[in-house]
Amino acid sequence: MTPILVENFLQSLMAGLLVGAIYGLMCVGLALIFGVMRVINFAQGDFMMLGMYVAYFLFVAFGVQPTFGNIVGPYVAAFLAAPVMFGVGYLAHQFLISRVSGTRTAQLEGEGHYAQLILTLGIALVLQNAGQMIFGSMVVSVRTPLSSSAWIIGPLWGDFVEIFVNKARAIAAVVSLLVIAGLVLLIGSTRLGKALRASADDPTAATYIGVDVNFAHSIAFALGTSITALAGGLLAPNYPFHPFVGLEYVIIMYAGVVLGGLGSIIGAFWGGMTIGIVQQMSALVLPTQLQNSAIFVFFLLIVLLRPQGLFGRVTERT
Amino acid sequence: MLEIAGISAGYSSVPVLRDVSISVDEGQFVSVVGPNGAGKSTLFKTISGILKPTAGTIRFEGNDLLGVPPSRRAHLGIAHVPEGRHVFPSLTVMENLELGAYTEAGRQNWATNIERILTLFPVLSERRRQFAGTLSGGEQQMLAIGRGLASSPKLLMLDEPSMGLAPAIADFIFDQLTEIRRQTRLTILLVEQRVAEALQTADHGYVLEAGRVVLEGDNNALRSDDRIRAAYLGM
Amino acid sequence: MRLRTTLPLLVLAVAYAVISFFVTNSYYQLMMTLVLVWASFGLAWNLFSGYTGLISFGHAVFFGLGAYFTALGQIYFDFTPWLLIPVAALVGGAAGLLIGALTFRLRSHYFALAMLAYPLAILNVFMWLGYQELTIPMKHKGAVLYMQFTDGRMYTLIAIVMTVAIVILSQAVERSRFGMALIAIKQNEAAAEAAGINTLVWKLRAITLSGAITGAIGAFYVMVLLVVTPESVFGMLVSAQALTVTMFGGVGTVWGPLIGAAILIPTSQILQAKLGAQFPGIEGVIYGLAIIVVILSAPEGIFWRVRDKLRKRSGTTAVAEAVAIDVPTAGDAAPAASVSQSGGQIILSVRNLSKSFGGLKAVQNVSFDVQRGSILGIIGPNGAGKTTLFNLLNGFQHPDAGEVMLDGHSVFGVTPHRLCEAGVGRTFQVMRPFPRLTVAENVVIGAYVRAANDAEAREHAANAIARAGLTNVAHRVASELTTKELRLMELARALAGAPRLLLLDETLAGLGANEAAEVVTVLRALAKQGITIVIIEHTMHTMVRLVDRFVVLDHGAVLVEDTPQAITRDSRVIEAYLGTKWSAHA
Repeated sequence: MTPILVENFLQSLMAGLLVGAIYGLMCVGLALIFGVMRVINFAQGDFMMLGMYVAYFLFVAFGVQPTFGNIVGPYVAAFLAAPVMFGVGYLAHQFLISRVSGTRTAQLEGEGHYAQLILTLGIALVLQNAGQMIFGSMVVSVRTPLSSSAWIIGPLWGDFVEIFVNKARAIAAVVSLLVIAGLVLLIGSTRLGKALRASADDPTAATYIGVDVNFAHSIAFALGTSITALAGGLLAPNYPFHPFVGLEYVIIMYAGVVLGGLGSIIGAFWGGMTIGIVQQMSALVLPTQLQNSAIFVFFLLIVLLRPQGLFGRVTERT
Repeated sequence: MLEIAGISAGYSSVPVLRDVSISVDEGQFVSVVGPNGAGKSTLFKTISGILKPTAGTIRFEGNDLLGVPPSRRAHLGIAHVPEGRHVFPSLTVMENLELGAYTEAGRQNWATNIERILTLFPVLSERRRQFAGTLSGGEQQMLAIGRGLASSPKLLMLDEPSMGLAPAIADFIFDQLTEIRRQTRLTILLVEQRVAEALQTADHGYVLEAGRVVLEGDNNALRSDDRIRAAYLGM
Repeated sequence: MRLRTTLPLLVLAVAYAVISFFVTNSYYQLMMTLVLVWASFGLAWNLFSGYTGLISFGHAVFFGLGAYFTALGQIYFDFTPWLLIPVAALVGGAAGLLIGALTFRLRSHYFALAMLAYPLAILNVFMWLGYQELTIPMKHKGAVLYMQFTDGRMYTLIAIVMTVAIVILSQAVERSRFGMALIAIKQNEAAAEAAGINTLVWKLRAITLSGAITGAIGAFYVMVLLVVTPESVFGMLVSAQALTVTMFGGVGTVWGPLIGAAILIPTSQILQAKLGAQFPGIEGVIYGLAIIVVILSAPEGIFWRVRDKLRKRSGTTAVAEAVAIDVPTAGDAAPAASVSQSGGQIILSVRNLSKSFGGLKAVQNVSFDVQRGSILGIIGPNGAGKTTLFNLLNGFQHPDAGEVMLDGHSVFGVTPHRLCEAGVGRTFQVMRPFPRLTVAENVVIGAYVRAANDAEAREHAANAIARAGLTNVAHRVASELTTKELRLMELARALAGAPRLLLLDETLAGLGANEAAEVVTVLRALAKQGITIVIIEHTMHTMVRLVDRFVVLDHGAVLVEDTPQAITRDSRVIEAYLGTKWSAHA
């Protein structure tokens, strides 16, 4: 009896770690936007949904599948979707978000924030419902043989305790970690990264030293959008999706980002990882339909009890 | 070098500057003094482009500055060291200085500039890996000035560098400014409420009161004028 | 006054009823009902978010609870909706109170996120419980008793009655102390506290009332459709619809949700019916686009856009003939409260006050006394610690050491609204008047702390306006005032609470010499009437003609305390203001 319990536990932990890494990547995209612009993007999940569809269509309709095959193809499609979503994010910021954010509304305090939230809510509604119009409400997925094959670790306990590591998820997790490492380098050491951080810290002073803050915001928004979309593309082989899938992930993202301390990028990764583990472990005791509710409750508890997050520093400007 | 003519500016409907004209020649050290609320910081924000004037013109090296977007003005050679320091708190001291060199000129002269900055303010060298937000007020002021110098500016604008600092530290900062001038003949525009320190090393001074220039002249002329006292103390 | 707003409402209601009477197509009958359902939901949302400015992204939680409560009550217990709907209101109200108590502790971003999360969390729970689709059992006998009508026009009639009731309720709230408190919270929560408003209590009342109304509307909605799914009552689109009809039509007015619903519901319904087959989701796209357009082009909605335009067209001439403002000479404008120059009675006493932020000692060991009926000026160069000291005096910050004594009692830990009740009024450096309210309405907010009813509050306000010399502009809207008039209006609002001690934060800032002189005259007159004044300024100018005594701060500590004459000759003051090297030279 005991080996089965241990096996179930380890199996859930492994699943949590793998999906947590992808959630971490998702959260990093949202945290980047909030960290630089102080804008909470309600539409982040829907941009991710769009990224999933872009990857899907690149895969099945634009030659990625015939050229790269079913194994490498889905990842190529996800990486090709990222620059497309970078463009979408850039345009969304230029034409919509920038009109209610940035230095222009710095003095507005509360009212300014609400305008941003309401605007991104509007964008979310348009994306979800226009998605339904264009893509239909059928559930689709990117098919790859990897998503139904696994590496087996073990047996670890005599003949018992074998852990299955789904190949598609494992590869997605590793890719997520590599992308985050690259992003940390970009933000930490490059001129662009420093300009982004300067804009986040003090937009006015950043202007004084010659940084175009509005442009920095566009870049941050586009980058954040494309990173979350990439995470979506990596999820697509394992998790079928539909136009309203963003709603399922949006609270996962907020929970991860708030857990990591709003605005901290590394914190957001750990936050997403924690959410992944909590979600998979809750499957041991909770029915599947309540998994998302468990995350909501967890999220509310974090927000109510420890709004500064568990990881990272408090970056809220006073 | 900088020619401000008939500038009026303010926030929403409240006018702060009324028909202000100020000029700074190349290599000059110009001070603008006046009590708080006289419009000194507003003047600087107008030069930096954060605030749009309602009337008047600003020319820098003969070119119209008002048509230049705010973030491009640093690249023309204008460094603004703002009131209240405004260093980037979550970046290290060194990163703050590197960001100062965001301009083309700053990157080209980085080696010379960083050496000069760290010699002027040795404490910055000691704290180079520390987050700027953890520095004391005086150190932040030095960092803010260092960040301005790192851009290799043609014109350095300093907004109340002595604000909130202990007198000894304020004195040290003024001494180092004199030292920068001695070494480089850098053009400086300073606004200060402490008149004596501000005028001491300046070639030319303006007195701002309630948004207007009420007096201008050289150091000696201004200091012997009792109107300064009246502007500050009301009697 | 009341008739003027109620009459058009009743005319509209009757007209709507007459039109609905001639609609025989059941689809259009349903639409006429739904317009009112969403208008009512918008009104309920507006009652909380529109007036307090706290935008709720999760009002669907109340709507859905009301809907499911009613459906389950009928399916399992066979109760009549005539009973269930009022009880659904109680459920919604209780949910509002609970959510408010939990969530009001959170600041802007967190509040928004938490509100968004509530309905989405509950949606999943109802899914899990197996309530994917509940159908109200059809009643063939006693259909009326179960609110099941074969004639769709009956639902429209009920909806009209409901909407009219909610509009009247909203208007009653708007005009009363309740509405004024909410408006004050929206413009500046700190100032509202300082005006004696217990902001937490009023916000809780608002969300409870709003939740209750929403619960009842959700319950009625189920009766109209006779079927309920979690997505249709807890979904993101539901919350968004309430927000959208209100923001589109106009925030903070009863007309907003009515206008918004009248335009958006038919548009989206008709498009959904005509094109929904080819383009599922077109309804959501319409709402999304409506929000985007409104927030970018008319963030407060159509109503205010149009009204501001009309006002501008008709109002310009009236404003042009600027009314000369009479400055009251000492004592003539007010019922001269007889004040004997109370010999040395101390009203405010500050003892060894200290406050640090990190390593910065903002206020160090500050002590001084203020005599009743006197004017004390706190001055000092920038960064001297004036603002911190001021916040310690008015209870917005707590000192690390030392105490503030009002009439000999320590005020440590006393909240700003209690301090106001105790007779301390204050103004703010950054003025945030409510631009569309008149001077009289702006001032009355400060009067409720001393008034038993609305009439008394208006009387106090009129009195305060007279004392501030603003009687001539009392009926102008705040957005048309000059800086000086706005400062005086802030002063009048503080006066309306009948304070014994007035704390003024940079009341003279940004004023020209003549304007400052006028404000000085008003303040001197108030002091003559026995009000003690403590004023903070960074310039000494003008102040020397106003105050009886100065406390000069430098680097957080008291540099000197003396009369104006002595202060302007004090070498330490000259040093602090003009620099060390100045006094050596002079």
